[in-house]
Amino acid sequence: MAEATPVQIFHMEEKRRQYRSGGFFLKVGLLALFVLVPFLFPSFKTVDLAMQIIIFATLVASFDILLGYTGILSFGHGMFFGIGAYCVAFLVGKYGTPSYANLALGFVIAALVASVLALVISFLSLRVKAIFFAMITLALAELAIVLATKLSGFTGGEDGISLNMPGVLAVSFNAGNFLGLEITGRILTYYFILLACLGLFLAMLRFTHSPLGRVLQAIRDNVERAEALGYKTFVFQAISITFGCVVAALVGGLYGMWVGYVNPESCLGVLSIMLAILLMCIIGGMGTLYGGIVGAAFFMITETFLPDLQHLAKDFFPSAVLLHNVLERWHLVLGVLFILVVIFFPKGIIGSVREFIDRRK
Amino acid sequence: MKETGTGTLGIEMPEKNADPIIETKDLTIRFGGHVAVDHVNLRIEPFVLKSIIGPNGAGKTTLFNLMTGQYRPTEGKVFMKRKDITRLSAAARTRLGMGRSFQLTNIFPLLTVLENVRVAIQSRKGFGLNFWRNYLHFSRVEDEAYSILKDVLLDEKWALLASALTHGEQRKLEIAILLALEPEVLFLDEPTAGMPQEEVPAILEILQRIKEAGDRTMLLVEHKMDMIMTLSDTIAVLQEGRLIADGDPEEISKSEAVQEAYLGGGAKRE
Repeated sequence: MAEATPVQIFHMEEKRRQYRSGGFFLKVGLLALFVLVPFLFPSFKTVDLAMQIIIFATLVASFDILLGYTGILSFGHGMFFGIGAYCVAFLVGKYGTPSYANLALGFVIAALVASVLALVISFLSLRVKAIFFAMITLALAELAIVLATKLSGFTGGEDGISLNMPGVLAVSFNAGNFLGLEITGRILTYYFILLACLGLFLAMLRFTHSPLGRVLQAIRDNVERAEALGYKTFVFQAISITFGCVVAALVGGLYGMWVGYVNPESCLGVLSIMLAILLMCIIGGMGTLYGGIVGAAFFMITETFLPDLQHLAKDFFPSAVLLHNVLERWHLVLGVLFILVVIFFPKGIIGSVREFIDRRK
Repeated sequence: MKETGTGTLGIEMPEKNADPIIETKDLTIRFGGHVAVDHVNLRIEPFVLKSIIGPNGAGKTTLFNLMTGQYRPTEGKVFMKRKDITRLSAAARTRLGMGRSFQLTNIFPLLTVLENVRVAIQSRKGFGLNFWRNYLHFSRVEDEAYSILKDVLLDEKWALLASALTHGEQRKLEIAILLALEPEVLFLDEPTAGMPQEEVPAILEILQRIKEAGDRTMLLVEHKMDMIMTLSDTIAVLQEGRLIADGDPEEISKSEAVQEAYLGGGAKRE
């Protein structure tokens, strides 16, 4: 072999450093934290918070495949999430008995429905213009809510559907005590979902680092150039959208499993789900995938603990009435926090931090 | 070293007399009432470097756009190796072996220099749809990209973002992207446009090298006359959308019609 080129040397260096870099330890540490949460903080509130962060981080990452990697704004991502949740709920709740086979089938159906719908939307709208995609998905998302509410015979309407989990995942399951923790169906569900989300996240990482992911980046950067290179850009965008939407549907199914209950507002809501996804993605940083974790953590933690802040304030500063009044309206504080993040981290938290580190090098 | 057969090959010169690789028949395009390209019949022999010259607004770039598929003609046809490609999209023509550079620099600004070339190689090799393997597994592609960067004198800048390059370097990168597609026919639309004078010789050298490699047909739109006269095998002259002359540099510089239309009565030519 000839002398190694600078490119080869660079990659060899990179490979050597791969398992020693700070980023790698951070990721492993984060995963370990999520694994240990039920042991360290066994209260319902913290385990639920951790689970919501995991689920939404994965969901936001799948949204990032569309927004950050394909350059397409979809308002239908919440809809795909809801479709997944409903598909699983149908199979183990309304129309089927809770068994492992039905649960698995629910996820398969969720993926199939999502991929067909995503392909249809891509074909209908992408050829025209990217902005059309935003409009059509918004319309469809609203339509989905109306359908889920009005077709109450089929979907359970506003009341929604309760899910029952099979076997070891059932709420009633209890395997006894392990290291001071009651191993219940809830805890096993937590680990099942953690594992599934990890798998989905790794799949998305692989997707964005594949040759196809590179082409997507090129398309986002300069569509005309990519076309002039002979790429059928439409095909790439359709594949990427479909992939992102299928992941969203699967995550939706997992969410249904955790919450044990689906209804139009909690799973399909444009304001409750879709807006949250968009905010988390922008806060965390577009085009990074990891931004989803940061965005979801930021959003979920502030939303969970800001309401508690007012009690804290009352305990420590009993006389500061203005402070109490502000903290009672904790949504206001949340809004100000968002504005601060957008001002100080214009590329999202991950994006801006990465830029900062690169500049220091 | 003499082998049997080389002599006959040398005498017959089959490439030079072969079918045209690109041919246009009565190629015409109208924009509203304006006829930008007017019944142009052009033959481009394989492995030659042909320049298209003409005053501003003569329709050179439009003719390029018609041949590479950015525009559809109002009338007439384009052939590549005798095959009618008039209805094919730009992307389809790229896959047939056309590589096109644009007057305005057209690269991927947010990808690294190496990535720019890599994406192009990937397109040619057709595994762009692979989504299950890490792109780093395709290290041979990177090696190839690096060697192309060497050809266009950009290898030291491989790790930079393309947007960080100077204008001249970006034009070089664009040529590298084109070469990565291994096109049979290279369409270069003013490769030195807007470039500071001191960077022009490097481009000239690169073009000279590609020409000397002898395995590609090249079409060139340029304004720098000295560059055209040294590089070109043949020159076609456009005026107001019509082809008014087509021949080797000597003929063109002597042609009265050309001098009248373009060179200003021969005053400008040396």
